Amino acid sequence: MTGMTEITEYYARQYHRLAENLPGQGTEWIKAYRHSRLSRFKTTGFPTTREEDWRYTSVRPITSREFSAIDASQPVEPDLWNSDQHLIEGLDSYRLVFVDGVLRTGLSDISPEDGVRVDSMANVLNERPDSIQHHFDLEQTEESHGFTELNRAFSKDGVVVELGSNVALEKPIELLFLSAGGESLAQPRNLIIAREGCKGQIMERYLSVREGASLTNSLSEVVLEHGAEVDYYLIQGQSSEACQVSGIWATQASESRFSCRTITLGGALVRNELKSRMLGVGAHCDMFGLYSLSGKQHVDNHTTMVHGAPGCTSNELYKGVLNQRSRGVFHGRIKVERDAQKTDAQQSNNTLLLSRNAEIDTKPQLEIYADDVKCSHGATVGQIDDVSLFYLRTRGISESDARSLLTFAFVNDVLNEIEIEPLKTLLESMLSNQLIDDQ
Amino acid sequence: MLSIKDLHATVDGKEILKGINLEVNPGEIHAIMGPNGSGKSTLASVLAGRDNYEVTSGSVTYRDQDLLDMEPEIRAREGVFLAFQYPVEIPGVTNVYLLKAAINAVLKHRGEEELDAMSFLKLIKQKAALVEMKQEFLYRSVNGGFSGGEKKRNEILQMALLEPHLSILDETDSGLDIDALKIVAHGVNALRNDQRSMILVTHYQRLLDYIVPDYVHVLAGGVIIRSGDKSLALELEEKGYGWIESQADAA
Repeated sequence: MTGMTEITEYYARQYHRLAENLPGQGTEWIKAYRHSRLSRFKTTGFPTTREEDWRYTSVRPITSREFSAIDASQPVEPDLWNSDQHLIEGLDSYRLVFVDGVLRTGLSDISPEDGVRVDSMANVLNERPDSIQHHFDLEQTEESHGFTELNRAFSKDGVVVELGSNVALEKPIELLFLSAGGESLAQPRNLIIAREGCKGQIMERYLSVREGASLTNSLSEVVLEHGAEVDYYLIQGQSSEACQVSGIWATQASESRFSCRTITLGGALVRNELKSRMLGVGAHCDMFGLYSLSGKQHVDNHTTMVHGAPGCTSNELYKGVLNQRSRGVFHGRIKVERDAQKTDAQQSNNTLLLSRNAEIDTKPQLEIYADDVKCSHGATVGQIDDVSLFYLRTRGISESDARSLLTFAFVNDVLNEIEIEPLKTLLESMLSNQLIDDQ
Repeated sequence: MLSIKDLHATVDGKEILKGINLEVNPGEIHAIMGPNGSGKSTLASVLAGRDNYEVTSGSVTYRDQDLLDMEPEIRAREGVFLAFQYPVEIPGVTNVYLLKAAINAVLKHRGEEELDAMSFLKLIKQKAALVEMKQEFLYRSVNGGFSGGEKKRNEILQMALLEPHLSILDETDSGLDIDALKIVAHGVNALRNDQRSMILVTHYQRLLDYIVPDYVHVLAGGVIIRSGDKSLALELEEKGYGWIESQADAA
């Protein structure tokens, strides 16, 4: 493909230009780590539709532009921030605000409870890199692609959260990532360490604060120790020109519970890679997803559940509403390792097509190497039911209200999994505005 | 109240109604009986405004307005109610939500104030008692997992709440055991007054023992072939539809 090598070179040059000033670059292992990631990136390049995992998603909107990281030493322009627009009404959280991938402490509240440590990735790399070296060493390399390696090569900023043993977090930790357009490149890299028996809610929320193209290439690794419970939220509401590649990779020890909700209401091209490796006995993972798209938006949800130990359970439900010329992709992979007996894995993807020109490609992929397992998967694609529509209208409800109501009803079971009430209220109103606009 | 004149309607190009004439005055209950496939349910659907039915000629005047010119939701807000033969299950929408949206749509249309949560709940409890519906059903999905009898009671609950001028009950008795039939009939009779009209579409006479009609019409082959009072229903029960169809053929 023309330009692929050039664009890879472009990011390599950008790396070399910034390398000296990247956090922790003075530490030998970090420098070596970045170097090896960059050369891996140069070898793999960006994925193409010739690769099975990217068959339905072309990254042309990303590779046809040159995105660049912003200068972190510049202050945030005051008109960028608008708390009325950017905050979730009624939500009390520990909030960290990033603008184009750089933590802005002035907009953030890093004063967590006892037993909880929240720090920026840049600080940790500069000041106590040894505390996370272990996680960098152990990271998953087997299935990485260009975006992952590019994120790792920069390892520029993001957050490191550590929930101490048996801590129950009182408020959600909210990571708010704002994109300011202008072909900016944000590559947050986050590490969440949930110690034994802890419990907490963590939210990543992505917004555009200005029109214009931007690229967010994020990677979050979540490590759950024995019995830890983490409720994770990935909330995407970027502008119709914004591109986003997002990774959330969990590693779960025995009896831990990881539950992730991915809600995509915005963005031009969004690719989400959620992965959980259940490595301890009796771990449980939920992945709930909701995407509601219009225009020419494209969202690709790529999930992997690895059942790597006996008696683990997983439950996956993705629901989508596609309007106009939007396109959805769902690829759900379940891998049951040989000794993962008594696995119970459920997966389903249901999509409502509101337009003739909308498209969904859905693909379950089950790899089962154990013999005593319960796995099921299902996918449906449908339209609004005419009889239900008529029924509601005979009760005095207008056609457009009836359509909204039926669409809401369709996604309701995923919305009900959102346990942060102010967030749920916000999403409901965003969804209903979207449905009204699209009619 | 309702005046149907020479109504013809087709479904998928096939003519089902072939010239229906019917006058319904305020306070009257009309039963429309007939064998399967005679066009009874088509008539009910056409009156409610279902869009895969095409009216090819004739007119329907409802309270001095052209009914056929109104969207289904406008008919509902103007006081036309269809109780479905097969009430639709709508997972994800709670019964109470639908009921509130429905009553407020009607009130708003009339220029009246919409009900707040408190007054709505008070009203709905009262109406639910009328059809002996347990409170928990209000908070379940619309008809979700309801038995046949519960679905029909839910239709009557909606009707009781909306207090329509003209109710069309499409085979409301089908699939009901005798106890459920009595509850449904009780709900319908409670709504009966000298202003409200009803059209009962039914296959069997049994319903008419509990909801006594003023007039009985027999529909066959897309036309009303005989009209009479409640005794006609008893005669039909005794002699079957074949009797009247052969009489009509002879004439």
